[in-house]
Amino acid sequence: MLKRFFTDLRKYFSFSVVSAKSQLKTEVAGSYLNWIWWILDPLCFMLIYTFIFGYVFSASEQYFPVFIFVGLSMWNFFNGTLKSSVRIVKRNKPIVSRVYFPKYILVVAQLMADAFKMMISFGIVVLMMIFFQVPISFNVLFFIPIIIILMLFTFGCSCIVMHFGVYVEDLANVINIVLRFLFYLTGIFYNIKTKIPNIGEYLNNYNPLASLITAMRDCLIYSRMPDLKFLGIWFVVSVLLTVGGVALVYKEENSYLKAV
Amino acid sequence: MIMSEYAIEVENLCVSYKSLKSYSIKKHLLLGKKSKAEVCQAVQNVSFKVKKGEILGIVGKNGSGKSTMLRAIAGIFAPNSGTVDLHGHSISLLAIGVGFKTELSGRDNIILSAMLLGFTKEQIAEKMEQIIEFSELGAYIDAPVRTYSSGMHSKLAFSITAVLETDIILIDEVLSVGDAHFKKKSYKKMKELITDKDRTVVIVSHDRKTIADLCDKVLWIHEGKLVRFGPTDEVLDAYEEFMK
Repeated sequence: MLKRFFTDLRKYFSFSVVSAKSQLKTEVAGSYLNWIWWILDPLCFMLIYTFIFGYVFSASEQYFPVFIFVGLSMWNFFNGTLKSSVRIVKRNKPIVSRVYFPKYILVVAQLMADAFKMMISFGIVVLMMIFFQVPISFNVLFFIPIIIILMLFTFGCSCIVMHFGVYVEDLANVINIVLRFLFYLTGIFYNIKTKIPNIGEYLNNYNPLASLITAMRDCLIYSRMPDLKFLGIWFVVSVLLTVGGVALVYKEENSYLKAV
Repeated sequence: MIMSEYAIEVENLCVSYKSLKSYSIKKHLLLGKKSKAEVCQAVQNVSFKVKKGEILGIVGKNGSGKSTMLRAIAGIFAPNSGTVDLHGHSISLLAIGVGFKTELSGRDNIILSAMLLGFTKEQIAEKMEQIIEFSELGAYIDAPVRTYSSGMHSKLAFSITAVLETDIILIDEVLSVGDAHFKKKSYKKMKELITDKDRTVVIVSHDRKTIADLCDKVLWIHEGKLVRFGPTDEVLDAYEEFMK
């Protein structure tokens, strides 16, 4: 199955790229500011959160705007891909009912589009780090493994959600609620370890998003080595999710067309 | 190795639909209804062979499994049992209302469709002008497909399949589309494609004249089962008799 996965991935790679590009194109096609929204959108939310949590609730994190922006970039990536995956087969019915291709390719294309937006976000993070004169160390190299884990984790989850989204009409509502809850439990705009009494540490370690975001902040902003143990654990979990998700899609994709 | 003289070999093809309806959680929880897996046998034990270059017509009343069978042959979904062997020929399915991503321009849709049919970027670039020209969409090709009229929509769909030639073409109820002028043109193009002696074609149609004109052989299916398979006149006569 793994071999088939890699051959299929290679075969449909250029399709996913074109598909991702065209998706990005359509997202901004109707608006006046076009692609500037990809910068403006996270930037505005960062300003809102900085204002509310930095001043109103007086958070004391060092480099607070950067702190928020790192979390927001990664969260938006996960959130965006997962949400779109619920109805992705239905939305692509015209294509799905016409030719065969492995259905997770749709998720791959979505992932690429969102990853592109995340990279723009991280470009802004770099600018902000220069602006706030954040000291950096070799630990920034952890950026790459953390992003890879995040992508694998998102891909695995999205494949599974896509599969059930085909059959369960109202999965989108459920996912929305779960994601909102997870958003507050992830500590995008506060330090989850110190702000939640007692269970904060657990949440930080066992909520994959929180774990990855904290690791990213550690290595980018605070020149610290991320917690390798939990990165390792989440890497293994992500690989398992991905393998499981792809296996599920391969096994069941035949009947998708009959349900949509 | 000798090339097989057959382009399509279908053996004991069975396709069944399972639990057609997607269900909502509300219904599931409130009514406690178990989603019953209604199994519907769409195609049952159909076997036939089509020689390379032959034109096969498929007849049968609505809902008898014709389109399902075409999709199984095209590989859009795998059969529950039985095999479809295309001997490595490329294949495409032409159907009414084949959709596009409606937010994208016609041009982008051409690229996406062609890529899914397995063409490379270079091949697509080569054929692009030809497709646009044939579709007669002109400047509209760069407008989003959602702004197209239904006629333009089918013109584009037709042009893509007609210009991007594959070894096997499956045609589902469409031989000519658009206004009177385009109808004539597309019928001519279709005929040209169909009668090419290297191309294998499978046509599903309710129009007796079309089938009688074009096909070498006809397959008649009724409620998923093969009733008759043989020379055009013979099967068509029997079918007409039955439908009376």
